[in-house]
Amino acid sequence: MSRKPRICLEIEADLVAAATGDAQPGAVRRVEYHIDACAPCRGEFRRYREIDGVVGVLRRAPAAAESVARAREGLESRLADLKSRLVSYRVFPSPLGHILIARSEHGVSLVEYLGEHTDLGASRLSRVTGVDPQEDGAEIEALYRELLEYLRGDRTRLEWPLDLRLARSDFHRSVLQATAAIPYGAVTSYAGIATEIGKPAATRAVAQALRWNPLPIVVPCHRIIGTSGALTGYAGSQIGLKQRLLAVEGVRAVGTRNDSRVARNTLYHYDRNDQREYCLPTCGDIARRPIGPVTLLASRELAGSLGLVPCTACRPDLHPLTV
Amino acid sequence: MMGVQPFETIVGAHHAEIYRYIRRVTSRATEAEDLSQETFLRAYRAYRTLGPEANVRAWLFAIATNLTRNHFRSEKRRRTALLAASVERREADPEGPEDEARFREAKTLLESTVRGLPLKQRLAFILRKIHDLDYEAIGRSLDCSAESARAHVFQALRKVRLSLNGHALPPETSPTNMEPPR
Repeated sequence: MSRKPRICLEIEADLVAAATGDAQPGAVRRVEYHIDACAPCRGEFRRYREIDGVVGVLRRAPAAAESVARAREGLESRLADLKSRLVSYRVFPSPLGHILIARSEHGVSLVEYLGEHTDLGASRLSRVTGVDPQEDGAEIEALYRELLEYLRGDRTRLEWPLDLRLARSDFHRSVLQATAAIPYGAVTSYAGIATEIGKPAATRAVAQALRWNPLPIVVPCHRIIGTSGALTGYAGSQIGLKQRLLAVEGVRAVGTRNDSRVARNTLYHYDRNDQREYCLPTCGDIARRPIGPVTLLASRELAGSLGLVPCTACRPDLHPLTV
Repeated sequence: MMGVQPFETIVGAHHAEIYRYIRRVTSRATEAEDLSQETFLRAYRAYRTLGPEANVRAWLFAIATNLTRNHFRSEKRRRTALLAASVERREADPEGPEDEARFREAKTLLESTVRGLPLKQRLAFILRKIHDLDYEAIGRSLDCSAESARAHVFQALRKVRLSLNGHALPPETSPTNMEPPR
């Protein structure tokens, strides 16, 4: 090819753009003016118009519907798989140390005490398989605010959709479900839960399941204690946390750090009976009966909300406990 | 909150186009399948953090372009793709009437020229000429300015023009009745 004049070289980009319908404002007039006078560039312009026509055909050619459909089908299945694995989480400060909250598309799947730590590496999430953790904000922030209200005692329920995927077995799941049904301000025992799920001999297994509770506070395993009233383990050996959570609900504990038990003399007692009567701790020997068959209640209002009536012998309605 | 539409709507609206885009860039159905799926999986992860005013389509093209570029970082893969494309092409083109055949030839030549372009030019060309993205969006996809994106398209067109040298093309308006079934 012979060398083009400089002016033609300079206008080439604009010429190509104008011929292919892609010119910047002002360029079209410049190009028109030039090709009026320059025959070779006029030829180039026409040639690029033709090329643009071929490109247009390329643009309109549809992809084979079949392969699009196949790719789409594959995508749907991979997307479903991702959704089932994806868990978004965030770590927040709280009066109980750092807390990680995680949720999947089905519901909250993990609440975890991280203590001093703030990173995912300290969490169970980094170790379980089949979970794809992703740090996320807004949605979890709302959960966090509710949790803080709860810890301040400004809220008595965390009505969160739950995802029990991190429970280790169906047995664990049934333990968590039974525990979730224990109301705010009430206390029962591991044996009580074992009876509740129809496995009265499985007390130790229940305790073990709650030890791995992936949703502390929300699934209130702090309301489950030993039949003697001892607080026993919580989040490893952090009985102090258990004591604080119970205190928020009006359930007091006494004793030393290592031997802490609920103060039964400050709680109403309900031993299952046909009349559905609840009692003062001073009613007969009720305060010496094992917790489990006996449920402890922080207030008369709670007893009322559970459909219980005052015992006609000890009359908790006339002699409320003064704490 | 973010993500005005449910993600399923996004998939429904854009999947076919994104697939087509990647298919055109990679030439291989299996790669296009995989990369287009990967595009939407990435998008799903990030979707909730996307602002309500974001241009979802341009955003998806940017993700797809990024993935495709990473994919081609390995030049070997690119050569394999080119080879596969040339085989596929020969199989895909049946004989036709003379005009149509000539047109097909031009189209085929155009396609193979585009495939042989340097990656950035090829991506810019396809994004602009086939998918009508504006130069700002193309620049964002390719990590360059809108001006560079425009320059890539210009260079691509010059090369196409050279490769079609001496080929008779139908003048200006394109014959719409000659769209070959693919």
